[in-house]
Amino acid sequence: MKTKVILSIVVFLFFGLILAGCSAMGKGREEKLQIRIAEQYGLAYAPLQIIKEKKLIEKNLPDIQVTWRQLGNTAAIREAMLADELDVGFMAIPPFLIGWDKGMEWKIACGLSSSPVALVVNKESIKSIQDFTQEDRIALPQPGSVQHILLSLACEKIWGDPTRLDNLLVTLDHPDGMNALLARREVSAHFTTPPYLFKELENPGMRQILDGKEALGEEFTFIVGVTTAKLYQDQPEVYDAFLRALEEAVDFMENNPTETIKILAAAYQIEQEEVLKYLEHPDMAYSLEVKGVMKFADFMQKNDYIKRKPANIEEVIWDENDK
Amino acid sequence: MGNDLKQQEENLIDRTVIICLKSVSKYYRRSQETLRVLDHIDLDIYQGEILALLGPSGCGKTTLLRQIAGFDHRESGSLLMDGHEVVQPEVKRIMIFQDFNQLFPWKTVIQNVVYPLQVNRVGESDTANREIALEYLKLVELTGFEDSYPHQLSGGMKQKAAMARALALKPKVLLMDEPFGSLDALTRIALQNLLLKVWQETGVTIIFVTHDIQEAVILSDRIAVMGRETAGIKKVIPNLLDRPRVVGEAGYSEIYGHVYSLMDINPTK
Amino acid sequence: MKMTNKTSSYQKIKTRLFWVIVILVLWEIVAQSGIFPAAIFPSLLVIARALENSIVSGEILLQTAFSLALILQGFLISLLAAILVSSLAAGNKMFNGLVDTLAAIAHPLPGIALLPLIIVWFGTGTTSILVIIVHSVIWPMILNIMTGFKAISPIYKEAGLNFGLNRFQIIKDILIPASLPYVLSGIRIGWARAWRALISAEMIFGAVGLKGGLGWYIFKQRVFMDTPGMFAGIFVIVLIGIIVEDYVFAAFEERTVKKWGMI
Repeated sequence: MKTKVILSIVVFLFFGLILAGCSAMGKGREEKLQIRIAEQYGLAYAPLQIIKEKKLIEKNLPDIQVTWRQLGNTAAIREAMLADELDVGFMAIPPFLIGWDKGMEWKIACGLSSSPVALVVNKESIKSIQDFTQEDRIALPQPGSVQHILLSLACEKIWGDPTRLDNLLVTLDHPDGMNALLARREVSAHFTTPPYLFKELENPGMRQILDGKEALGEEFTFIVGVTTAKLYQDQPEVYDAFLRALEEAVDFMENNPTETIKILAAAYQIEQEEVLKYLEHPDMAYSLEVKGVMKFADFMQKNDYIKRKPANIEEVIWDENDK
Repeated sequence: MGNDLKQQEENLIDRTVIICLKSVSKYYRRSQETLRVLDHIDLDIYQGEILALLGPSGCGKTTLLRQIAGFDHRESGSLLMDGHEVVQPEVKRIMIFQDFNQLFPWKTVIQNVVYPLQVNRVGESDTANREIALEYLKLVELTGFEDSYPHQLSGGMKQKAAMARALALKPKVLLMDEPFGSLDALTRIALQNLLLKVWQETGVTIIFVTHDIQEAVILSDRIAVMGRETAGIKKVIPNLLDRPRVVGEAGYSEIYGHVYSLMDINPTK
Repeated sequence: MKMTNKTSSYQKIKTRLFWVIVILVLWEIVAQSGIFPAAIFPSLLVIARALENSIVSGEILLQTAFSLALILQGFLISLLAAILVSSLAAGNKMFNGLVDTLAAIAHPLPGIALLPLIIVWFGTGTTSILVIIVHSVIWPMILNIMTGFKAISPIYKEAGLNFGLNRFQIIKDILIPASLPYVLSGIRIGWARAWRALISAEMIFGAVGLKGGLGWYIFKQRVFMDTPGMFAGIFVIVLIGIIVEDYVFAAFEERTVKKWGMI
């Protein structure tokens, strides 16, 4: 009996070690130049489609192997970066700050886009967020998302209590949230971004009662590019090539609108006229500039979404001192 | 005892028909061929008798018994009990199967006996039903095993419990489909004796299917011999030996031999 | 006989405990080795502290109660519906065919795949989670119960008919107890599937209000990167699973089919 027990423990440990060994080995062999980038779905990520289509990173660093991954939510991107499966992730500022607060070794490399982000309602009776009743439900992607933080900001401004509407929230991803809003059952509001935002507003009776800029009180970058310290410090040439590619992509979009629209229409599988309409929206802008980080950080720290906040912007954006 | 015996003989003389089969047929159709299992069977069953249905396996004796029970549909013919056509199983004809697993395993022995009594509202209360059940368990000599579950009983005890369960409903006819066929020889003899005792005490009519000539001779008042080839009853032999019967007694071998000769047993086969 | 039962269940608990400890030790070794960053593979102590915090604050208890209430409802609805449907199917060939076809279509379909439809039809509240649970549980249950009905020795049914039982009594007093071993295994499979469906549905639907169940609790810890808290939630799920399997189901089995000698 005793020997059997000991034997089974040994076997068990053995397999455990093999497992651990495998994952360690997987990391060891990636010495070749490479960059692994995660994006999410939406027009806010448009320059990345240009980089992909025009192979801009390869143009700047010919030997590099580029891997693109589309992930469903920011939490997955964060975990993949922690596990050293990704070098670059694109996300909104609040999820980045949550990771930074938890000690992740990453910083913002660049901005990517500003985008309309707004709360759409399907009821005539709701003119502002003060009109929500206990029966109403507000759909948004997830707690801690930029939409959630923006709603909390608006609540704090009105009631001094950012959690005032938290018990009305329903977590749904953008497509499900849109369906729920249009179905007009319990969900009476949806905090969302294009193309869902535009599609929803095309339906009769849908109105926008709050937008992001209004909630934060200033303009902000909707999606930022975040890279690991490992990429920035160990592979500066890759990092530089990536940033140059992004600049070129944004320039390309400015200078070649026709081809841009063609590429984006194919990438997102929507009509060219529609792409054009979205890109012409005044709040839709692509730029590497990063805005609004400190304002988000102030609010999030004050209300316990994060425990610490950056003393200055250099703490969360890569600069020369980090090299 | 002597009185009971007389009673039985008088019953035989009386010959009140309790079940009457006229030209009962049952076929099995398998793709192209039609298998005649029962072909125009005529048979009268008398009140209070033990009738053995004897034959080799595959002769249709179980099929005939199931017809009488009302389990199966028939092609043609009429089957009357007390002047009413038999169309479905009824409490007045209770079947006892060969399979030991006819008791409900999720009920104790006494619950097995009480349950049909409750369903048929035999006793006025649950206590009354329990009293009845205990009485019949005593009759089949199972006192002390009321609260056992069937899986805790031997095969012989299970068949005894099945008999108690059937008899408690006071059926007019007990249909027994080789009930002792899977028992060892000694237990079988014990149960045969028990059956005779019960029969004498209750006066129930018994139709007893068996392929064992000895069992048929020991138990029955008449033996209906069935054959594989004929799909019917070859002959009904009266068996008027005095009870209790003992193998090898005067007259025993005569009847045994008579039955044997009808059984198509070919030693060269 | 009672003695051996006791010792065997004691033995079972001992083996269970032994392996649980081995797994925990292995976990701690991996956590301490630093193969994975602590932010995704925290040590047991950190997890225990997170569990303690969430118990003290009452949140994890609240969410667990919410999940348990939902799963019990969904489970009972499914069990009753499955018995009803299987019983009807047992008595009617056409209906049996329909149920069989429906089960063949719906059984392999994950409830989550139906999410967009469910949201449109039932909204995003507890009703939808219930629908997903019922969908996940009812088909394996129906299939098991129907198999159980088919496997019943015809003698039980014939004996029942002979005793003058009506259809309802045959189903209630014969078909169901006689197929109990199958019903039980259906219940076991159903329970496991119900848990999975519940947790995934809660993760996707999130909270309606502050109550979103254990799945929601885990998801929330994840989005705020509270990995120890996430594992605390997972621990509670595992704990409930083991308790239900080792105590509730095993005890029920001990008192029924095992006592009756049916398995």
